[in-house]
Amino acid sequence: MRNKRLFFLMIGLILFIAVIGFSLRDRQLSAPEKFVNDSVAYVQQWLYKPAGYIAGFFEDIGNIRSLQEENEQLRTTAAAYARDKIKYNVIEKQNAQLERDLKFTERQRQLNDYQYLIAQVVSVSSDPYNPTIKIDLGSENGIKENMAVVTVDGLIGIVSKVSAFSSNVEPITSLDEKSPNSKSISVTVLGRENDSFGIIATYDQENGRFEMTRIPENDPMIVGDTVITSGLGRVFPRGLVVGTVETTPQAGDFGLTKVASVKPQADFNRLTEVFVVKMADNEGGTP
Amino acid sequence: MTIGRLGVVMFLLFVIESTLVPWFIPTSLVGRLYPHFTFVFVLYAAMYGTRHKALMLGLLYGLLQDVVFYGSLLGLHTFAMGLIGYVTGLLLEKRKVTMMSALFTIAVCCMVYEIIIYAVYRVFWFTRESLAYAVVDHMLLSTFLQLGFALAVYVPARRWVQSAIPVRQPEKEEE
Repeated sequence: MRNKRLFFLMIGLILFIAVIGFSLRDRQLSAPEKFVNDSVAYVQQWLYKPAGYIAGFFEDIGNIRSLQEENEQLRTTAAAYARDKIKYNVIEKQNAQLERDLKFTERQRQLNDYQYLIAQVVSVSSDPYNPTIKIDLGSENGIKENMAVVTVDGLIGIVSKVSAFSSNVEPITSLDEKSPNSKSISVTVLGRENDSFGIIATYDQENGRFEMTRIPENDPMIVGDTVITSGLGRVFPRGLVVGTVETTPQAGDFGLTKVASVKPQADFNRLTEVFVVKMADNEGGTP
Repeated sequence: MTIGRLGVVMFLLFVIESTLVPWFIPTSLVGRLYPHFTFVFVLYAAMYGTRHKALMLGLLYGLLQDVVFYGSLLGLHTFAMGLIGYVTGLLLEKRKVTMMSALFTIAVCCMVYEIIIYAVYRVFWFTRESLAYAVVDHMLLSTFLQLGFALAVYVPARRWVQSAIPVRQPEKEEE
């Protein structure tokens, strides 16, 4: 009897390791998985959003004092926006004209053409090392793996698994260079897009900062610079805010490149509405 | 209550722990409290029901957690919940479990569960935290959350489990 139990335990252990090894690969979801995902997401969406509204209501009451200040700030921003908008229109027209004159190919023209799909968060995982977020858009809505997910504050995650009507988003706070399916984001600095470069592939859980690596020796990056995606990997679009530089770049692994720490910009908690960024040509890109 | 209804209750708990509970966690404790309410019910099934039903429920709801929040690996929660449910049932099946010993068992099992999860993610290099940091960071706090939940639902959970999963063993002994 005891031997039988031990035998089953061993079989279970072997199966478990085999399943983990099998699931670690970069694989698409199978039909039963998609079905379970979509049906559970359908149930979850009836609970997450109303809870968010109620919590948001109480938060709003708490914030009522700072409203005046915020209002003034927004008015200044709106004035600046109106001024910039006129400038932008002129420059956009000029740019289109120049692109025509220089005979840009269709692919080059569509490079900065993004579409923002609004998605609702339906649930968050309760596993400390797998903080997956589920959203209510899936392959039926044109979502594909490795698309960037942003909030109004900045980049928050990468689409990791796609079902028909829902998909899983891996927050960028779970990035790790050494993990088996590591992803990295190529970044640059706002205002000096052509001079600065770095790779963000690791988030340090213990102090809550990103590690930006592979910064060139003579990079003019300074503390306080806004870090944005560079769009060089062709997976993420250009100009999504990731965070701000917090330490001056120090010599890295072999002294050839530098390393700096980056403070995240977006808030990863209590998300309700997120945007999935769809690029004009998202085919054939790997991160 | 039948086993099917118990399953529905556990499914609702599974939905609640990933949708409602995050909104009730204070901002200062975000990332440190993780609810595992279905797991508490698996333990109740192990203590007041049979080990086979506990194994079945553990595998089923562990698999649900794995599939629904599939990020990088599958099967971890299935294995951990099933194993702990079965072993707890094996050790405590023929004993009379009082409330205090039930809560003590739940506390120990929650720690074991968190440590199995940590260990697997550590082995596969998904995290680089040290065990001491992880214990202080989220394991102890989460265990207290689970204990609070277990205490709150002790009376109905025990009644439901006992009516859903009839235990044959003690009746034989009485005869």
